[in-house]
Order: sequence, then C-alpha cells, then structure tokens
Amino acid sequence: MVKKRSKKRIDRKTVLVLIILTVFFILFAKLVYVQIFLHGKISRAVRKMVNRENIEVSRRGDILDSKEKVLASSVKKYSVFLDPKIIKDFDRVKNVLAENGIKIKEKSLVELGETSYVPVAFNIDADVVDRIKNEKLKGVGFESKYIRQYPEGRLLAHILGIIGYDGNGLEGIEKTYNESLSGNTVMTKTIRDGRGRIIQSGFADAPKICGQDVILSIDRTVQFIAEQELREAFDKHKAKKAICIVQDPKTGNILAMVSLPDFDSSEKIRDIRVLRNSAISDIYEPGSTFKIVAIAAALELGKIKFTDSFYLENGKYKIAGHTIKDDHKISGSASLCKIMEQSSNIGMIKIAQKLDRENFYEYIKKFGFYSLTGIDLPGEAKGLLMDVKKWNALSLPTISFGQGIGVTALQLINAFSAIANDGVLMKPSLIQDIRRADSETASAKDAATSQERRNVGETDDEMTASVFDLKEIRRVVSVETAQMVKKLLKNVVDFGTGRSAKVPGYTTGGKTGTAQKVDPTIKTYSAKYYTASFCGMLPAMNPKVVILVVIDEPKGSSYYATSVASPVFAKIAKRIAEYLGIEKDDVDKLPLQK
Amino acid sequence: MYKSFLAVVLIILSVFIYLWQQNTSTRFAYKISSLRAEYDKINSENKSLQMKINSILALDKMHKIAEERNLFKPDENSIVYID
Repeated sequence: MVKKRSKKRIDRKTVLVLIILTVFFILFAKLVYVQIFLHGKISRAVRKMVNRENIEVSRRGDILDSKEKVLASSVKKYSVFLDPKIIKDFDRVKNVLAENGIKIKEKSLVELGETSYVPVAFNIDADVVDRIKNEKLKGVGFESKYIRQYPEGRLLAHILGIIGYDGNGLEGIEKTYNESLSGNTVMTKTIRDGRGRIIQSGFADAPKICGQDVILSIDRTVQFIAEQELREAFDKHKAKKAICIVQDPKTGNILAMVSLPDFDSSEKIRDIRVLRNSAISDIYEPGSTFKIVAIAAALELGKIKFTDSFYLENGKYKIAGHTIKDDHKISGSASLCKIMEQSSNIGMIKIAQKLDRENFYEYIKKFGFYSLTGIDLPGEAKGLLMDVKKWNALSLPTISFGQGIGVTALQLINAFSAIANDGVLMKPSLIQDIRRADSETASAKDAATSQERRNVGETDDEMTASVFDLKEIRRVVSVETAQMVKKLLKNVVDFGTGRSAKVPGYTTGGKTGTAQKVDPTIKTYSAKYYTASFCGMLPAMNPKVVILVVIDEPKGSSYYATSVASPVFAKIAKRIAEYLGIEKDDVDKLPLQK
Repeated sequence: MYKSFLAVVLIILSVFIYLWQQNTSTRFAYKISSLRAEYDKINSENKSLQMKINSILALDKMHKIAEERNLFKPDENSIVYID
C-alpha cells in the first residue's frame, strides 16, 4: 500500500518537473527564436525607434552695417497645422487656436478633407506655440522655419537684396554672399527612448553650422541721410530714377548707395523692375562730369599746363559737319579754370584735341570705365565705349564732354575718388568683414593673431586692411595732376556752375553734368529728357567723402544739374560731414553766429 | 561560506552600481536635452525680441515719430561744439 502511494507521489513529482521543464523549454525556445531568428527584424525596429535622423537647417547669418547694427537677420517662426485624422474634439481645437489668434474657417472636420496636413497659420511666435502646446491638443502640429527680417524696411533694399522661398539669396548681398550666409545643412542623429524623449543629441555644436555674419562698409545713418534727401528730390522733380553713392576715397569703401525707385525686402515684390540696382546696373551718358578724364589725361601727359588758355570760338564750334554749342557763352579765350567753371564743351574739345585718340582711350580705361569695378553685388554693367579703332571724327570731341560713352554711377564716383585719393584708383567695396557669430574660439584665435601682429608693429588699421584687402587697382595720374584737378573742381563750386553745391564751413569741389538723353523714338538726342548729376568731394583738397547724385529725367521748369542735382549734394554732404565729424576747413565763409 | 556570500554581495552591488550609473546617466541626458531645448527656445525668443527692438528703432520710424511730435533739426547757429 505504502509502495503504491510512493510510486504515485513519484509520478506526480515527475509530472511537475516535466511541466516546469516544458515551460522553461518553451521559454528557451522562444528566446532562441527571438534572439536568433528574429534578431535582425527586432534590432532594425529598435534602431529605427531609438536612433532618429534629422535634417538640421542652420540659421542664416546676419547682415550688419559698419557700426554692427543689424540690417538683416533670421528669426525662428512656426507654422501650425492640423491632422484631421487624429483630432478628436474639433470644437476644442478651434476654441484654443482662436484664443491664440488663429482662426479656422472650416466648421467641421469633414470640411478639412481627407488629408493629414492642413496648415492653418504661419509666422507664429514661440510663446504662442508654447501656450497651444500646453493645452495638449491631439492632431495639432507645429513646424519651425527661419524667416528673414529686415528691420530697417526700405533702407538699403538694393544692397541687401532678397531671398527666395528656399532661403537662398536672389539679389544683392544675400545673393553674392549666399554661401557664407547660409551655413551648412547637416544630418544629425539623436537617441530617443520609447516615448520619443531625447536621451542623447547627436550634434551639439549648433554655432558651427550657422551661417556667417557679413559686416558691410555701409553706415546706416549715412545711408539714411542719402536716402532721405534723394527721395525728397526724386519726388519733387518727379524723376524716372535717382541714384546717390557715398564713397570713402582713401579706402574705396562704399558708405551709402541708394537707387530709386526701391522696394521693401520684407514685402512681396509686385514689380520686378524695382529690383534693378541702377547704381551699378544702369548705364548713362555722364555729360560734363566726365570732363575730369580728358583734363587729367592732358595735364598728366604734359599736353596742357594749368595756366593755359583756349579760344572758345564765341560759343559755336563747327567740327566734322556738326556745330557744338556752349550753354554758357564765353567770348574770346578762357583759362583752364574758366573752362571747367563754366563747363565749356568747346574748351573741353580743344583740350581733348591736344591728346591723340589712343591716349584718351587709354586714360578712359585707366580711370576704370568700360570695365567691371568688381563690387560685391550681382548685375554690375561694364558700360559702353566704342573701340578706339572705330572712332570717327566726332568721337574724341564728344566723349571729352561725356557724350557717346555709357558709364555706371559706380564707375563715375570711383573715377572721382581716384582724383580725391591723389591719383590712385581703389576697388570699391561693400564688405568690411565676414565672421562666424558666437564663435568664441574664432574670436580668441583672432585676438591672439592680432596681438602677434601688433607685436611686430602693425597698426589696427593695417590689420583690418589686410583682412579684406584694400585693393589699390592702379595709379591713374600723379599726385600733382590730381591736386590740379581738385583745384579745378574746387573752383567749379566756388565760382562756377557748382555754386549751389557749396557746403557751409567746408571747402567743396565737384562737377555738374547735364546730359541730354537719346530718345529712341526720334533716334537722336532729346530736347525733353535729361540726366542731371553732380559728383563732388569735401574737404576739397583733402577729401574724406566723395558723393555722387544722379537725377534721371527730372520734370518741371528746370532740368539743369545746378538746380536739380547740386542742391541735393549740398544737403547730403552737409549732414554727412556733421555726422562723420569731418573738421570744418572753411570757417571764414561760415555765416556769422548770432 | 562567508567568502561565497561576500562574492555574491559584491556581484549584486556591482550590478546595482552599474544600473544606478546607467539610470543617472539617462536622467542627466534627459535633463541636458531639455535644458538645451529651453536654451534654444530662449535664444530664439531673444533674437525675435531683438529684431522687434531693431524694427522699432529703425531710423525711418524714429524720423516719422520726431516729425509727428514737431521736433526739428537744430539750426546750425544754435549748435555749440565743445572741444
């Protein structure tokens, strides 16, 4: 009986062990199946869930003025979208969004359609997004995007340019320096847990992929002054176009560049013609402002002397079957000074005739005409100039007073700057520096390098100059010739056609230009359309700034540069001189203090 | 027997220390990631506010405000330069 019971117990124990063994065997088998046979599939799923790849779009660099005021910057904004397939309580979603200023027109989920992506708001600030996120709404998503902003509005529109929907520059500095500004777009890996929380961010050094900041030579206050005064004249004379450029003749740096009509970079461009930067892209006949070229060439080559006089044919000079007339008739002979003061075309022809064609052509080219200046902006025009071999009997005489040649405003001011800079032509530049924002290492390295360079006796100015090489293009004329031309330009303002350009307290030099425009309908020079311009410098003999004002097709009673362009120059020059703290050098002629 | 017990304790302790270390590391990773996100957000907000300030201080806007308030440029004779 006992033996039978014991056998029964053994049987039970055996069964229990077998059951346990079976369970373990099943578990082991499952483990083997999972670990060996399902290994690839599971690890792929885990990798996909844990390791996530993101495209990290870098922030576009800022554009700053010479005083480091922000002119263009990118700000993170959000767009809000709905996924109708996930939304449970549409009314609540609508109410919460409405409380945060986002209105949804659709009355029901059905109206939103079958899609999983319905954008409902753009350019939303981060604080609004936070408030909506706190409501923990299902089916409401957010996308971030950098938006380009231009806090100064219209100011500098042509220089800054615009960017396209893809964030790449299309015009202006935004286009020229797109590569530096846009930075890098990189693929980053993050490790997340099962709930999507980031455990480890794969890319920590965001500043390294950010775009670099571009610092311009433009001073926004100088730009504002030039733009304000030019706009006033543009409106007053109902002009077709207007241009003003302010340049530092010693460095070639552009301090201001205005082209009207203009646009607001932040707003939608309705007429693409306004995008054209007339200062560098449009060519025009410069008229009498071009006279400095023939005078400088003749003086430099010793063909004329400063004290020479020329017979002015009583105001009418017949040449190659054409009669050239002077607006300001001078009887008998006139000195070089008088010819420039009264802007005599006949006198100018007489001077140019002392030069041969090749010499004159060579000096036109030497002053930088009919070649690109290399400014850091897209769309620069080369100008128009017939090959010297194709010149006819009228070419040399007419080109000497600025007819029969097409120049850009930038080429003209750069030529005047060469005279102001004692005969040396500089490369005009808009860029002062390009650097990475928030880069402590770069700054530290720069500081160390700067210290080393100071130790070997380099000044700060020399160091800045070498970073963005001040490019001296060539010496055009000698210092003596440049001084003589400056004296002639001073006389134009003191006694001649440029009197309205006189800036109180400063000696001022410059030249007026009233050029007839070619009327395409009659295929000859028009008696109705003119381009009035004035290019001047101050102080006259040691210029700190050179300013060019061009008013295209002024309407009204007067179209002469002396009444249209010179007064604008005077206003701009006065305000800029005061702002830049240029020392007054003509104190005797100041109005008496009360 | 004592040595075996000690060995087991040491093994268990090592496992716990390893687990604690892993846990702490993950907690810190969460914290770092959340702080980084907050930093990015504040930085972005700061930039946005800075742009609003720049926009308000735009020269054209200031000039218009000055005109509305009948402010005008001083006459040349009313300015006294101090060396």
